[in-house]
Amino acid sequence: MGEDSLFILPLFNLGPVQLTSTVITTWVMMAIIGGFAWLATRRLQMKPDRLQTLLEAMVSLIEESIRGIAPQHVQQIMPFIGTLWVFIVIANLTGLIPGMHSPTRDLSTTAALACLVFLSVHWFGIRIQGLKNYLQHYLQPSPILLPFHIISEMTRTIALAVRLFGNMMSLEMVALLILLVAGFLVPVPILMLHIVEALVQAYIFGMLALIYVAGGLQSQQRRQQKQGVSDA
Amino acid sequence: MELNWSTFVLEIFNFLVLLWILKHFLYQPLLEMIARRRAAIENQLTEAEQQHAKADALKQQYESRLADWERERQKAMDKLMREIEHHRSIQLEKLKSELAQEAEKRRVAESRQQQQTLHDIEQRALQQAAEFSSRLLAEAAGPELENRLFELLLDGLNAMPAEQISALSNEWGTAPELIRVNSAYPLADHQRQQLEATLSRVTGLSVPVHYEQDTQLLAGLNIIIGAWLLQLNVRDELQGFKEFTHVEH
Repeated sequence: MGEDSLFILPLFNLGPVQLTSTVITTWVMMAIIGGFAWLATRRLQMKPDRLQTLLEAMVSLIEESIRGIAPQHVQQIMPFIGTLWVFIVIANLTGLIPGMHSPTRDLSTTAALACLVFLSVHWFGIRIQGLKNYLQHYLQPSPILLPFHIISEMTRTIALAVRLFGNMMSLEMVALLILLVAGFLVPVPILMLHIVEALVQAYIFGMLALIYVAGGLQSQQRRQQKQGVSDA
Repeated sequence: MELNWSTFVLEIFNFLVLLWILKHFLYQPLLEMIARRRAAIENQLTEAEQQHAKADALKQQYESRLADWERERQKAMDKLMREIEHHRSIQLEKLKSELAQEAEKRRVAESRQQQQTLHDIEQRALQQAAEFSSRLLAEAAGPELENRLFELLLDGLNAMPAEQISALSNEWGTAPELIRVNSAYPLADHQRQQLEATLSRVTGLSVPVHYEQDTQLLAGLNIIIGAWLLQLNVRDELQGFKEFTHVEH
């Protein structure tokens, strides 16, 4: 068990910026995902082939999942949540490739994703509801709950980052430990578990992000409905 | 487990770049294609609904036309039935009229046949009566009857009115040369004298009288003065009787 298996060490420095394997792996992933998306959507047809059908099914599944939680804001939220799912699934599964590590095994990556979710909740809330209306929901149902709201925002973001990081790192660590203790081919069932866990963790992360974003939007909707009832 | 701020920032940047890439090269093209396909399906559904509506309209139009046809057919059928009934009544009336005419013809024919039969029977009866009378008179004829007829003739001539005698004179025109008298039995002399005197007085003629016997007269006599024939005998009376019966029928 080498040091690079436990820690993400910088590969080289580019001025003040340290480039780690996580960043390099992410760039490779981005290149593959971007190239694949470009190639797959170059010749879309009304009568789809298998690949187009698969991609349309995937996009439709993402869209329907978002529609089930935030039906009025599917168009705004869908690219962010969809990208989260795609990125985390592929990043999680990257760890199955020998000699590569999942970018989500790096706390910096999961923290970055959690930070993006945290920012996106406020971004979508302010963009759709306006700053004043959005900030008002922190005072609901009582201004006394404002600190709890803020603590909740912080803790759930940290939990989001640590949950994904802990699960993916523990998976890789378990597989590595079993490989060291039991030998070749024994960790294969653990690798199968890795696939399932990768998909489940991606789903959980994306779904929680969706719920957080939708929660911020629906607090405004609840307020509007309440105002409508009181006006009536 | 430590947080590398360079990686943290770069990962945020990487994710935003990936978000842009996927939005422009995956989500938008696929969503546009899905939207186009949905629009095409909607168009097809709309067209199908329009076709369906058009088919429904055509169906209703067809059913309405069928109903119209049915009404027209029923109307035509009623009209035809009325015409048939009218024609049938006319034919029935015509047939009744023809039957009545035939019955009338038959009745007339039967009546005529009955009359004819009656006539034939009467004719036969008359003929038999005439034959019976002829046979009876022929058997009963004799000089006594002739004398009696002679007396009747003389009475008749003597009782003849002057206008009739004058008319008879005009009929014979020029005076005949003789007067012929035929009798079934020879006349006695005194009878001849009485006759000649009476004839001379009635006709005003002074011509000889020629007597002849004609047994076919059975009894009685006839007198021929030019074109004038005076008959008083059984044969001519019977003949006259027969002719009279013919004329009567």
